[in-house]
Amino acid sequence: MAADISIGKAPHPLAVLPFYGTGAGFFAALAVLLFMTAGELTGHHFNPHVLAIVHTAALGWGTMVIFGAAYQLLPVICERDLYSVALAVVSYVLLTIGTILLVWSFWVFEVGALMITGGSLVVVAALLYTVNTCATAALHQNSSVQRAFIVSSALWLLITVIIGLLLAINLRVTFIPRNHLDMLKLHAHAGLVGWFLQLITGVSTKLVPMFLLGKSKREWLLYAALVLQNVGLVLFLADGYFNPITAKMLIYAGIVALGTAAWLVYLADAYRNRLRRKVELLMKHTAVSFACLAVGFVLLPMAYYFTDTRWVSLYGTFLFLGWITAIILGKTFKTLPFIVWSSHYRHLTGKVKVPLPKQLYSERLTVYQFYLYLAAFVLLVAGMIADYMPLIRVALVLWMMLAAVYAANVAKIIFHKPMITDGNRTQ
Amino acid sequence: MEIELNSPFAAELVKAQTALMQVIDPELYVNIVDLGLVYGVDFTNEAKVKVTMTLSTPGCPMGDAITGGVKNALETVFPGREIEVNIVWEPRWNYHMITDEGKAQMGLE
Repeated sequence: MAADISIGKAPHPLAVLPFYGTGAGFFAALAVLLFMTAGELTGHHFNPHVLAIVHTAALGWGTMVIFGAAYQLLPVICERDLYSVALAVVSYVLLTIGTILLVWSFWVFEVGALMITGGSLVVVAALLYTVNTCATAALHQNSSVQRAFIVSSALWLLITVIIGLLLAINLRVTFIPRNHLDMLKLHAHAGLVGWFLQLITGVSTKLVPMFLLGKSKREWLLYAALVLQNVGLVLFLADGYFNPITAKMLIYAGIVALGTAAWLVYLADAYRNRLRRKVELLMKHTAVSFACLAVGFVLLPMAYYFTDTRWVSLYGTFLFLGWITAIILGKTFKTLPFIVWSSHYRHLTGKVKVPLPKQLYSERLTVYQFYLYLAAFVLLVAGMIADYMPLIRVALVLWMMLAAVYAANVAKIIFHKPMITDGNRTQ
Repeated sequence: MEIELNSPFAAELVKAQTALMQVIDPELYVNIVDLGLVYGVDFTNEAKVKVTMTLSTPGCPMGDAITGGVKNALETVFPGREIEVNIVWEPRWNYHMITDEGKAQMGLE
């Protein structure tokens, strides 16, 4: 069969690098904000500073890096070039400005024009991302479950940010005939289950087997995951909008948990059937991430039944600082170096000896990153459970060190100077 | 990529194979010959060198770099001849196509 499929061109660096660089900046800001609000972390989540922190984590850190990674990986998953680099760049500008406005307005709790403008910019950024994703996926005639996850997650992102914008407007002019805090739960879980979980499910089932040189023939598990994750979420949102949030909602969480288990069983099967026996340190971040997600599901009934606000804080900590952060820390160095390498050395391969993508970052820093992360996370969780402030503060100092190490390594890749140009060594 | 010594183009094929071993898959850190990505090199047209190869995954963002590397490597050893790279997806590449040398380089069992 002749090559009627794109052989794949790395997207323009502008569609990827700004997201990683800005995401690293937001991660550093997140660590500083956490340190500044150490005393409020185990309190009620509807608190201006906690809302600012959650949106820094969800939009500035998680969504920012995931947008960049998605623009880089969509061609791999959809087997087509990215539909539009221009849309990607515009989505970057809007997401960055929107997130800054939103985080600032939460921090000072200025309800009104600033918060609504920030939310609107984020909605437009999500819309552009969704258009780019759907258009890239639609260019391919064959469907795949991974593509379905990517498209579904993009649509859920759009729904999440639209609900978020409506909630921001509702804070200024009350028009939603429902309890604002209950609506906040719907908004948060549309984002967690619809956007983050489905995106990570889709991308990981393509990348993890690729990195481990493993495979699973049990693809039905992924279709089951797609259906269960969506059915559980739709039931939760529909029931949660019309009725008060009660213990019944845990049934829907159980359905999502089954969908998550199906995905993890698929990955475990690929892991068992892998050719690469040695698991790299960066892949261990992924394992930690999945363990945190599993703990998150266990914490959900505790957060519901126990009145102590610490359990909700722990639930959020395991999801944002455990699950989402761990997977980003690991996958950054499995994806970002390739786009920079491609722009500097693609035209030189086969002509002269060029450095490998893994030589664009410091492997030593990734080792520091892994152990700093483990220490920071474990100490923070222990401090929150014990409600012992000195321990929480020590943990948050480690988080700031971790953010600095991560940002330094990301900067090393982004600002890499070509070592060779047209056969001449320059460094 | 197998070379039959009684092939009329055996010398060219060896030369091509040696050149293609300089092209490294940046994702797997192994040259494309040992990865089993090169299915054949055709010298029957005197003005052209036609390479039939695959990639480890369709849509691989490194595909452009790898095919560019193939052209660069062969242009160096066959100056003046047009280099044509024909990407195919059948047979689909799989891990069993990696040579023993390639497996050793990747630390596979």
